[in-house]
Formats: sequence, structure tokens, C-alpha cells
Amino acid sequence: MKPNTASLLTLALLGCGTIFWNGCSDSTSSSTGGSAKSDPKERGFTIGMSQCNLGEPWRVQMNEDVRNAAAKRPNLKVVFKDAQNDTLKQRSHVEEFISSKVDLLLISPKEAQPLTEPVTKAMEAGIPVIVLDRALLGDKFTCFIGANNKKIGKAAGEWVVKSLGGHGNVVELMGLQTSTPGQDRHSGFLEGIAESEIKIIFSADMKWLEPDARKEMESALSRFDKIDLVYGHNDPGAHGAYLAAKAAGRTGIKFVGIDALPQEGVAYVNQGILDATLQYPTGGAEAIDAALKILKGESVPKEIVLGTRLFEKSNVARGGEELK
Amino acid sequence: MSEISAPTKPGRWRQLAASPGGRAFLALLLVFLVGVLGNADGAFFKIGTHRDALRQASVYGILACGLTLVIISGGIDLSVGSVLALVAVGGAKMAIHWGWSGWLVVPAGLGIGAICGGLAGWITARLRVQPFIATLALMVLARGAAKYASGGMKISTAVKNEAGGYGYVDVPALFRAVDARILGGNLSMVTVIFLTCLALAWLVLAKHRWGRQLYAIGGNEEASRLSGVPVVWAKVGAYVASGIFAGVAGLCQAAQEQQGDPEAGVGYELTAIAMVVIGGTSLMGGRGGMGLTLLGVLTIGYLDKILSINAVPEAGRLMLTGVIIVVAVLTQRRKRS
Repeated sequence: MKPNTASLLTLALLGCGTIFWNGCSDSTSSSTGGSAKSDPKERGFTIGMSQCNLGEPWRVQMNEDVRNAAAKRPNLKVVFKDAQNDTLKQRSHVEEFISSKVDLLLISPKEAQPLTEPVTKAMEAGIPVIVLDRALLGDKFTCFIGANNKKIGKAAGEWVVKSLGGHGNVVELMGLQTSTPGQDRHSGFLEGIAESEIKIIFSADMKWLEPDARKEMESALSRFDKIDLVYGHNDPGAHGAYLAAKAAGRTGIKFVGIDALPQEGVAYVNQGILDATLQYPTGGAEAIDAALKILKGESVPKEIVLGTRLFEKSNVARGGEELK
Repeated sequence: MSEISAPTKPGRWRQLAASPGGRAFLALLLVFLVGVLGNADGAFFKIGTHRDALRQASVYGILACGLTLVIISGGIDLSVGSVLALVAVGGAKMAIHWGWSGWLVVPAGLGIGAICGGLAGWITARLRVQPFIATLALMVLARGAAKYASGGMKISTAVKNEAGGYGYVDVPALFRAVDARILGGNLSMVTVIFLTCLALAWLVLAKHRWGRQLYAIGGNEEASRLSGVPVVWAKVGAYVASGIFAGVAGLCQAAQEQQGDPEAGVGYELTAIAMVVIGGTSLMGGRGGMGLTLLGVLTIGYLDKILSINAVPEAGRLMLTGVIIVVAVLTQRRKRS
């Protein structure tokens, strides 16, 4: 008797867990209501949004931007799917969108090669496709919207040159160096500081992770007595470095990050933790703009390169300043 | 055996190498030697470097305390990294968003850890699911719960207000206290917390009946059952303890980051297990102890720090760490007589 109640209870618990689990993923996939198969008579548009991974705050923000932009238009419904960093799952999401005949497909692909063919199939089925952030192979899509990490890295370098007066010791805390954004934010930065006397005295791969950034910064602090600035490839990295310097009682160090999410980088600049952050735009709002044009039959450029915004103490209240 | 031989120098070394503790100590000495040789312009000799190495190792060390109990009982707990994240998110939510005092946040956070551990232990011990599978399931479940509770965003001091903008709240006193330093700034509070956890786990293992039961179960579960050891309760207790330690680690993590990150602690369970095993605690159960775990924590913690102050590139770090773990574990292997 006893083991039976026990196993029943466990089953019930696991069941609850599963429902809870599915509950979560459902809420992301249909948060703007209903299924994709809407009644074609009350003609609104349905957009399918395939996100590769909602584990990163930046991608959560991208969905948020899409959602907010879409909410401002009447008759526009967005169905979200999260592939949880699984290429094949994203592939089947694209296929689901094709078979449910969405009016337009928005996709931020995890990788180019395996997702190019499914997207091509969508185009062949007459569904226009907007690709966000990461590119696909070939040209079988309607429009690509993305930012340029190299440009942003360069802008960061130029800001550093300006704010340090052309010389100083910099610690660079790099994003994962086997990832393209990490490589581009590094090489762009080098380009930005090329003409100056700024020296990178310590650099480490903190893999985009704040605890690792703090650890590496502690090492830099114990090795070097004079550090003028820390350049983090993302805002959490710069924040981790700030916490390390603060704990060590070191002052006079400037901190610069990238991404400028409202609740991270911009908040840190507001709180006086970071001296500057450069936005890596999600393109969510721009995607909805482009989507509406496409759905109305207007033409859009094949590639839209997003600019960046600089947030620093003096302009953060105004919402930053656009860099061309 | 050779222990009886005259205490010449090589004899003493052999004696040291004969006990698991001695061998773990030799591995740590080796890492220290690497640090002295690669001292990064003297940075290795600064007290701050050692404080930081210990701070960095502390969260892993706290997880390793709970894991030692579970591993000695012949089990494994893969869920600690995810439970850490769940408690970090929950703790940050309670302390930052809801403004609870530390006196409420700590018991609530540890309670979440205990429930997770209890669930894993119950599925393992009572329902006889293999611990690897049961805790793997909990690892996924707790990570999902952490993401759900946080809405996918970090719980930080930037709090969204009704207007859609962000308001800022102070870092809670609890977080400040945990991330503080004592002894003139030469010792991190998280290290003190780690050492306290270590001492508690040592008391249990070395002095308490429950500890002896865990050794017995790890050695031979069936024989323990037949000789009247309450196997189920002792095992569930080990997983509950592991969950509570993961909760402590989660609060320490949140305090040091000043936020609750649902992605925190990914892969931490593997580092913590490596620490336990390098110390010389057997993954088969029945053999090991907290002193060994301390040596393992220090070995990996210092290795990490030494590679970091020398700014060794990531690829080199991973390969070197892999080699050292293999060497350390090989020195731990002893012939069974």
C-alpha cells in the first residue's frame, strides 16, 4: 500500500511538472493569442516568429521588441516559437509555420547551413521571410536585418580613445572567442584604437559570463596597479569587472560595455556603474516595420544594417545618442 | 609494507603517497609549484590573489560539500547547478523585488534547496530510480523553474515600473553582507561560508551516526539494510543536504552578482564533482571525506586562478585543466590488496 501511494504521488508531481513545463513553452508560443490558423475572412495578418533561443536576455528583448511593435498595429498577430538553442527544433518550427500558412515568417536562426533549406521552402510556398540578426546562406529570403558587431566594436574603440585622451591601459574582457560576435567585437575594437597609444595590457575570454568576468578582472587587478579602463564585450562582463574593482577598492577605472539592454547596460549607466554602453540593437521593431511594408506589397531593401546608439552619463536620460 | 621502513626522506614521501589525503596533498603542492613558477610578475605572491582564488572556489566548494555526502553514499547529484540557479533567482526576487529581510530570505532559499534535494532523494531512495537519472531530471526541471520564475531575465536592481521604464532599488543588505570581506579585507565572506559548510559536513561525516550510515550504504547497501541501517532515510537526508548546500551556493552566487541569473551555475555540478573526485573520494561510494574534498577544491580553485593571472588563452586552459585532472585522478588510484 505504502509504495503505491508513494509512486502515485510522484507520478502526480511529475505530471504537474510536465504541465507546468508545457505551460511555459505554450505561453511563449501563443502569447499574442490564438493559433496561426486564423479565420481568413476577418483579414488580419499572422506573422510567425521563430526564435532560436530564449535563454539569453538579449533575445528575450528581441521578442519583446517584436511584441511591442506588433501591438501598436491593428490586425497583426505574432505567434512566437522558441527553439531552445536546438537547430532541428527550429527547423521543425519553420516547417510548422509553413504548414499553418502564416502570412510572413520572421526568423532569427541559430545557424546558417541547416536552416537555409527550410527557409527556402517557405519562400517557395509563397511566404515572405525576414531574417533577423544571424544570416543564412544564399539569397532565398526577402530581407535581412542585423547589426554589425565589428562597427560597434570600432565605435567602442573610438569612444575609449576619446575619453582617455588617446593613451592609457585597457583590460579587455572578451566574449566567447569561438563565436563571431566575440571575434568581431575584438577586431573592431583594435581597429578603433589603432591610431592611438592605448595599450591592451590584459585580455581574457570571459565567455559572455559575469562570474568569469569578475574572476578575470580580479586577476588583472592583482597584476596591474594602473588600469584606466575596462572594455567588456557585453554589459554583464563590464558589470562583473566593476564589482571586482569596487571590492578591491580601486577607483579611477572606467567601464565600457556593449548591448545596452534597458534592464542591463542602460540601467548600469543610469546607476553610474558603467561609463558607457553601445547598443547592439535587436531589430525587433524594424522587423515589424519591414514586415508591414512587405505585406502591403511595398518593396524593402534586401539588407538592412542597423546602427548603434551610445549611452553615457550625459545622454542616458534622453535615451542615448545615435551613432552613424 | 613500506610504511615500516626507516623514516628516510624517500620513505616519508612514500608514506605520504600511501594515503589518499597525502596524494591529494601532493597534487595541490604540484599546482602550487606551477603557481610559484608561473607567478605572473609576482602576482601569485600577493595576498589578494589568494583571497580571490578562495572566493572564486567557494561557490563550487559549497556544492562539493553536499556532493561529498551524496557520493560517499554511492549516489550522484547532477542537479546542484540548476538548484543553485533556482535559489539565486528566488533569493534575488525575495530580497530585491519584494524587499524581504535576510532573516526570511535565507531560510526560504535554503527551503527551496531542501525541497529540490528531498524530491531527488525520494525518487532515488524510495522509488529506486538511478540517482544519475533522477538528478538529471531534476537538473532540467529546476533550470526550467528558474527560467519560469525569472521570466527569462536576470532579477537585478533595475525593477520595471508600471510606466514601462526602470526604477532602481538598493542592493539588499543580505547581498552586501555575503559579498563583504573581513580580516582587513583579506578574506571573503563567501569563503567563510564555504568553510562553515565544510565544517558542518565534516561533523556529520566524521562524528555523527548518520555519517557512518552513509559510508556503510556506499560500501554495501544490501548489507547495511540487513544490519538495520535506515537506508532510505539516510540517503534522502544526503540529497536534502546536497540541496540545502546548493541553496547556500545559490544565495552566495546571487549576492556576488547582485542579481539572480536563471543561467547561473551551468556546468558547476561537473566542476564540483571533479573537485570531490580529485580529493580522492571514490565515485563508487563508501570511501572519502571532507578533508579530501577541501584539498580537491583548493587544487582546482588554485589551478584556475594560476591560469587566469597568467592570462592563458581559453583553449590552453581547458587542455591543461583536463591533463591535471587526469594526472591527479591517476595518482589517486591505488591497488586493492
